[in-house]
Amino acid sequence: MISALLYLQAHSFRNQVVSRCKRLRQPKYLVGAIAGLAYFYFYFFRFLFVPHRHGHGLPGGITAGHPLLLESAAALALFVVVVLAWVIPHERAALTFSEAEVAFLFPAPISRRGLIHFKLVRSQLRILFTVLLLDLFSARMGGSLWMHAVGLWLVFSTLNLHFLGSSFGRTLLLDRGMSNALRRALVLGLAAALAAGVVVWARRTMPGLTGSDSTTPDALLGYAERVLTSGPALFLLYPFRLLVRPFFAGGAQAFLVALGPAILIVALHYAWVIYSNVAFEEASVAASQRLAARIAAMRSGNWQAAKTSQKGKRPWFTLAPTGPPATALFWKNLIGAGQAVTWRIWLSLGIVCVALFMAFGRTAHGPEVLVTLVSVFLVYSLFLGPQFLRQDFRQDLAQADVLKAFPMRGWQIALGEVLAPVIILAAVQWLLLFFGILFQAGVHTARAHLFLAGGLGAVFLLPAMDALLLLIPNAAVLLFPSWIQAGKDSARGIEATGQRLVFFFGQVLVLAIALVPAAIVFAVVFFLLRALLGPAPALTLGAMVAAVVVAVEAALGVLLLGKLFERFDLSAEGNAS
Amino acid sequence: MIQVEGLTKLYGEFVAVNDLSFAVAPGEVMGLVGPNGAGKTTTLRSLAGIIPPTRGTIHICGHDLATEPLAAKRELAFFTDEPRLFDYLTVEQHLAFTARIYQVADYQAVGARLLDELELSPKRNALPGELSRGMKQKLAIACGLLHSPKVIYFDEPLTGLDPLGIRRMKDSILKRARSGAAIIISSHLLHLVEEICSHILILKSGRKVIHGTLQEITRQFSEQAGDANLEEVFFRATNETEVAPPVPVSAPPERTQGPI
Repeated sequence: MISALLYLQAHSFRNQVVSRCKRLRQPKYLVGAIAGLAYFYFYFFRFLFVPHRHGHGLPGGITAGHPLLLESAAALALFVVVVLAWVIPHERAALTFSEAEVAFLFPAPISRRGLIHFKLVRSQLRILFTVLLLDLFSARMGGSLWMHAVGLWLVFSTLNLHFLGSSFGRTLLLDRGMSNALRRALVLGLAAALAAGVVVWARRTMPGLTGSDSTTPDALLGYAERVLTSGPALFLLYPFRLLVRPFFAGGAQAFLVALGPAILIVALHYAWVIYSNVAFEEASVAASQRLAARIAAMRSGNWQAAKTSQKGKRPWFTLAPTGPPATALFWKNLIGAGQAVTWRIWLSLGIVCVALFMAFGRTAHGPEVLVTLVSVFLVYSLFLGPQFLRQDFRQDLAQADVLKAFPMRGWQIALGEVLAPVIILAAVQWLLLFFGILFQAGVHTARAHLFLAGGLGAVFLLPAMDALLLLIPNAAVLLFPSWIQAGKDSARGIEATGQRLVFFFGQVLVLAIALVPAAIVFAVVFFLLRALLGPAPALTLGAMVAAVVVAVEAALGVLLLGKLFERFDLSAEGNAS
Repeated sequence: MIQVEGLTKLYGEFVAVNDLSFAVAPGEVMGLVGPNGAGKTTTLRSLAGIIPPTRGTIHICGHDLATEPLAAKRELAFFTDEPRLFDYLTVEQHLAFTARIYQVADYQAVGARLLDELELSPKRNALPGELSRGMKQKLAIACGLLHSPKVIYFDEPLTGLDPLGIRRMKDSILKRARSGAAIIISSHLLHLVEEICSHILILKSGRKVIHGTLQEITRQFSEQAGDANLEEVFFRATNETEVAPPVPVSAPPERTQGPI
């Protein structure tokens, strides 16, 4: 029977590869594939062809003086993952199959063990691919490629088996009357008791860090290494250490010595999974349906709907039945943003910023660090915000027919579609600016007033830039719907990575061109007003005028986007592709 | 109410709809039938203003869909075969959203009545993901009827409905027609078309093959080859391969040589 399952797996993989190769005849995939291959070559493979590859190595001070620390840290991380595997999940054991696999395999004369084998074989493909990527990544840091590969495979395979086995174990406990809450309390209690034991032992038997010792990284790392490699932690982490040891082996002999125990751990996990007699079919059917719904939602660009356990969200404001119809789309997309716009999130963000200010605002270099952090987040929000906030055409493209049947002009639909992400992003940035200015108050430099003036200018400039930045992916999704992650056929693989790279650079280029007029206007206003009012007011006023220029560009962009949407025909795109 | 002249839709060099002209008056229910790929859905999407025709004109309640799209679209509703709903809006929020789009000031009273009629009131706070296929379709219908459209298009309206749902859908269509709406139904279910449509338009490869009242076209084919129902008319008009008539229930089963 397993041969039939292997046949299914092998031919599915082969057909997938063939169909991906065939679609390279289309320029959009060919360009993406070339860009993707170039990226993988220059980022990963180039290091393999460099003679005497030394790599960058891990951050200095970690590997040099503390050879066991990395192994211990990895073992500790595995321990935490395993504990969480027994704590977080609450559902019954379910092997995730596709709906087609459920339809074909579940009614077929295949034993439960056969299905588990099928699942294990299929998961090996994913594991091997992950190992390949991580191995290529670790190649940049030096070390033996094949030892790293085997080491990673042992870790991932064991984790995969452990997740499966723990799901069976949890189901057995549920069947025997132990509730999820009780199981979580017991596991967390046991983990906390073990951690407390380690802490108590360390305090009693090892000299603590005092005075200048606590300020040097080397002393801290040395202390951590001693705690993790002696006393109760040594025994607690021992099986995990055995598992990660092949990856960290310094040479072939050490690797071979470490290999035996690690393989034994994998074999024990395999036996545990195979000989567990737990019914998973019913939960698997439900899981496959949820998976299918999530895939459909993700492929249509609706990541919000892809999340599990949804509940209706309260709208942020009551929508009156009359008024500008674009407001209806804005209202709808705010609801669609879900968690991104709840009061709880905003309040949490505010509390975190206030707590940071309270903790570091009055220390020697705290404010400078916080201001730098805020500035970094602001830059990230500009470029990554439009990628994360997709409550616009990228989410609604699958509903294009519905939108086009509305009695609305194209520009009205475009405006309503892009408004929600612009407002959300601007709100995040205003919050960051507020705290940036607050933190800046603690930095006593001669140029503090310029920072304040720049911050005030950014209050106006950022929303206009957000609008511009959000118009670019929205225009792209209407111009090249099958290139962007929307619609029914979102691409995956190297060519998809390449497509995203091409589009990222395209976006940066378009933005750079669009900002040229605003930059010229800013420069003129700034230099004219600096002589009259001084640099700080000139900076604010220059940024405000530049914001108007960018806003006008964004308004023109909305009109253009509306025209694009009026001409957009998803069925024609489907025919073309 | 619906006036179509020379409607043509091209996808590149492929002709999806070719020089189609017809009219549907208030109170008429026109069945749009044809084999797969005949251009039925493309025709409906063009009539709904979703895709622009390559050539031809479409008037909805006197408004040219090309030059007065907003006025024309305010008068129509289009029900697709698969209900298209927003996953994150509840039933009630769908109605509020639709009301704002169509500027229905008194939507709350109208919406409550529609939800009651469609037995959706207990689900007013549910998301589409929590609704059955039939309920989703009912919600789509409630949204479509909220602004009291004068022109209604149905694309395969009975897909996924249970027998009671089918009965209610038929009654609802006829009720709207009696109240003066012009209705077009695209369907492969010829008995449905025969049962509720006053007019028939048969398409093949994007071209109009037959158009007329049900009586006219059945009479026309009956004159050629005896009594003809819509199914026979359809096969003859489209030159589709005729299938053997259904075997009577009382007929003895044929013996087969081995397991099937």
